[in-house]
Parts: sequence; C-alpha cells; structure tokens
Amino acid sequence: MFLALREIKFEKIRYSLIITLILFISYLVFVLNGLATGLSDLNKSAITQWHASTILLDKDAEGRLSQSFLERSDQQKINGQGTPLSQYSALVKNNQTGKTNAQILAIEAKGFIYKNLKISSGMNFKKDNTAVVSEQLKENGFKIGDKINIANNDIQLQIVGFTPKASFNVAPVIYTSFKSMAKINQAPVNGIVFNKTLKGNPQFKHSKLYTITSFISKLPGYQAQQLTFKFMIGFLYIIVFIVISIFLYILTIQKLPNFGVMKAQGISTRYLILNTLTQTFIVAVIGVSLAMMLTVITAYVLPSEVPIAINIKQVLTTSFGILIMSLLGALLPIRQIIKVDPFEMIGG
Amino acid sequence: MSRLEFENVSKKYGKGMSEFLALDHINFSAESDQLILVVGPSGSGKTTFLTIAGGLQSPTTGTVKINSEIIGNLSKNQQSTLRLNTVGFILQSYNLVPYLTVDEQFLLVDKVKRQHISQEKFLSILKKLGIENLGKKYPNELSGGQKQRVAIARALYADPEYILADEPTASLDTHRSKEVMSLLHELAHQNNKTIIVVTHDLRLQDQADKVYQIIDGKMSEVLNIDKSAKKNLDFYSK
Repeated sequence: MFLALREIKFEKIRYSLIITLILFISYLVFVLNGLATGLSDLNKSAITQWHASTILLDKDAEGRLSQSFLERSDQQKINGQGTPLSQYSALVKNNQTGKTNAQILAIEAKGFIYKNLKISSGMNFKKDNTAVVSEQLKENGFKIGDKINIANNDIQLQIVGFTPKASFNVAPVIYTSFKSMAKINQAPVNGIVFNKTLKGNPQFKHSKLYTITSFISKLPGYQAQQLTFKFMIGFLYIIVFIVISIFLYILTIQKLPNFGVMKAQGISTRYLILNTLTQTFIVAVIGVSLAMMLTVITAYVLPSEVPIAINIKQVLTTSFGILIMSLLGALLPIRQIIKVDPFEMIGG
Repeated sequence: MSRLEFENVSKKYGKGMSEFLALDHINFSAESDQLILVVGPSGSGKTTFLTIAGGLQSPTTGTVKINSEIIGNLSKNQQSTLRLNTVGFILQSYNLVPYLTVDEQFLLVDKVKRQHISQEKFLSILKKLGIENLGKKYPNELSGGQKQRVAIARALYADPEYILADEPTASLDTHRSKEVMSLLHELAHQNNKTIIVVTHDLRLQDQADKVYQIIDGKMSEVLNIDKSAKKNLDFYSK
C-alpha cells in the first residue's frame, strides 16, 4: 500500500489515464448491461410479474403465445388449474394520442394473475370493457378514465387503473377480461399459465408445457438480442483484462531497474507483487466507482424512450467482475517482477 | 571470526569462445571494524566481486560465507532476508526510488524491515551527510551529489552489519568525499561494521584499513601503499 499510493500520487497523469480507461470501459459495460436488462424487461416484465412457473401452449406454436391456440380437449385435462390467457397484439390510441403498439391480454378474475396484479393507481378491472394498463402508456398520454380505441375494431376499453411497467414482447400490456376480449378477438385461449406444479400428470395430445424461462427465451428476437449484448459485454471484460495487462506491463518494464534495486536491498518479491496488486486494485476501484456514478447520472438524464434499467445488484456484480479482470491483468507484469534479476538491474 | 569470506571464488561469464573469467580463484576475508577499499581498472571484476559479496549472484566455483553461512546454500527468499537484515548497498547509480521523497526513502526501509530508528540517530546521519533539509524533495529535484548522499544515508539508515559500496563518492567533491569516507570509517570502527568500498578514487585510501586491487580477475592486497603501488593505483583514477 505504501509504495502503491505514493507512486499513484507521483505519477498522476499516467495513473489518471489508466483510471480513465477503466472508467470508460466499465461505463460501457454498465450501460450495455443496463440496456440488455432494459430490453429484456421490455420483452418479459409482464411475464416476470406473474410469478408463474410454467405455461401450456400449443405443441406446434414453438413456444409462441400468439401462435398458440389450445385445444378444448387439452384445456379440460387441467381441471381448472392455472389461469388461461388470451393475447391480441394491437395498435391503440385515445382521442388525444397517436397510435401505439400494445399487447392486450385477457385474464380471468379468479386466476392468480388477476389476484396478484399490482395496481399503482386506480383499481383493478371488474366490469366489461374496462382495463388495467401498464404505466408505460401513461407516458404516451393515457390516463385513468380514457377510452382506448383499438385499431380495426369498434370496441373501446376504458382505463380504470395502472399497473407498474408491464410489457410483453416490447409492447405495454393491457389487461382485460375474457368477456371484453371476446368482443375484440373472440378470445381464444392461447395459453394457460401455472404458478404451481400441475397435479394429476395430465397427458396432452396437442399441447406442450414450457417452463417460464424457456417460454421467455422463445420470445421473438429475445435470445438473439440478449446473446448480442452478452457477446459485447464479454468482449469488454476481455478488453479490461488486455488494457490493464498492457498498461501495467509497460509500467512494470519501465520500473524494472527500481524493482531490481529494491530486491538488491532485500525487499522481497512478495512485497513488490502485493504492491502491484494493491495498485491495480486501487486504480480499478477508482475507475469502476467513477463509472458507477456516471452510469447513475446517465440513467437519470436519458429520455424514458431509452430502455435502460440499472439495478444495484447487477452493477455490483459487474464491478466485481471488472475488478477480477483487472487483477488478472496484473498477472503478466507480476511475472516480470518475479523474473527481475537485481544483479542485472544495478548494472553489473 | 571473519564476517565475509571468499574461498577460492571464481566467476565465469559466457561459454566457449566468448567465455570470460571475471574473478579468478579469489580468497578474501573481511572482519568487523574494517573499512576495506577495493580498487581496479574498469572491467577488472570489481562489481562482480561486490555483487557476489552481496549475494546478488553466485560464484561459478568456490564458496562465499556471510557470518559463517554459505550463501549458495540459502534459498532466494533466505538470501533476500539476509540482504535486508545484514547487507547495505550503496550503488554508483544512486538507485533511489523515483516516486518517493527523501523522507519516504527511509520510511520504505522502516516498512520492509519493520524497524524504528530513533529520530535523533536519523537526524545525525542526515546532518553528517548534509541532507537534513532535503526531506520533502523527490530524487529528480536533487543534484547528483545530493542523490549519492541520500543513497548513502539510506544504506546507513538500515543499520546493516556490512556495507558494500560501489563508487560511493563518484559524484561528490573532494571535501564531501572526505566527509563521507570519514563517516564510513567512523561507522566501521565505532559501530562495529564491515564496509567494503569499490572505487577508482585513491583519495579515499587514507581512511581505509586495507586496500585490495583486482586486476584481470585476480585479487591481491596492497600492503603499505608506497609510492610505486600508489603510482600503479593512481593509474586507475585517471
């Protein structure tokens, strides 16, 4: 710590450059992680809010709710377990707003999704042609009491309440009853969602049970999008490792005569290695901490249209990952410190 | 009992046609309360002698003992600990840590040796070397002579049993050289130290208890530096 801090203090420009690099790379990792989470939430936040474990879909629908139409015979086999779901993608608007994409989901009032539905303002829907909508629609100008016009349809749904941001397949969700949905789209049962293990081990002829994780991964474009982000983030981790490695390697090469002299004086290699690791740790902690602050500011400043979701747990995990990569990056210079021969360095 | 002993020590560099014998069957011993001067022309093997004496490199043949312990039998870590606790180096190129102030150079010694030297003793070393006002300065703010004196002070500060100095007065004027040698002499005799100084500077011989010369890897003691020997030695200082 003694040598580490003094060297950083003395070589301010050099270490500021390394800190700046770590800052920007970490910032990029945080923002990409935030975007990945934000986009992921846009796809699945409604599903997550159901707290469900499995979903029954048509065997031929390849896990896609909109392509699934459950056979009545299979529906009967579950004996009232779970809650049926009907989905309709639509363009919606009120009298003041422009058209916006939405996912209309019909649920039963006796089902667990309805019962667990969080209402941030207003109340849950009870009557026909009423709906609870995602708060995202608030940002589009929708408010309680508004009537939602559905494109290519004469039915209007009245907003009676808002639920915290709930989206499905990148569109805000509108929850309504099967009775109302029947007027829009005849309300076919696209799927049945379960929050408990299905009893009776029913054998379905035309349907297949998916875990919610598997269902989410089959959302159109979801996996490709998430893999792209993971790839970019993975690469950034490697870049942190390489950047730290290169910088510390160059710095160590420049300092080899000093290390040689210190070794000649009897200062142990272990002390010098600990010094380098401490230095790397300090530099990485400063860089990552500044990146955290910058990320929080960015999340506040960015317009709400940018789907960025910053959560503390993820930021801390990412920071830990960057710190580990930084310390791994110090391994190459450490090898140089171990190898340095004091005799050669003092000009023998 | 000898503090430092060389028994039939040889050191070869290179192989085959490029083989070079830097030290040739050297027998040498140094005891406490001694200031020993080792002189010789460039490339004669003085620095090789010094680095082998400090355990920085091993002889090709022969044994080197410090306090009766054969250095070659010690592990790298043990050699490092031995250097830390027993040997002090004063090197020609000062070798101060560039990012530590003068005060911090000493603090580093405290940190690694876990020692606490009295402020009084510390100040007396600084005063004798005329560097008591340089505490807050970095090496790049010091003159060559000041750096050399700080390097000497750092070696003395660690309070080693013996000090190996390579041209310690190279950057100092005559007056300061005499002061430094007088300080080394005083240390050797009053503090029970063994000090070996490798130098070209024959002005230092007055303070030395023994003078050795190395020529072509062979070492011999120069007994009574008479006119002819001095003439011979003077050659090196030119």
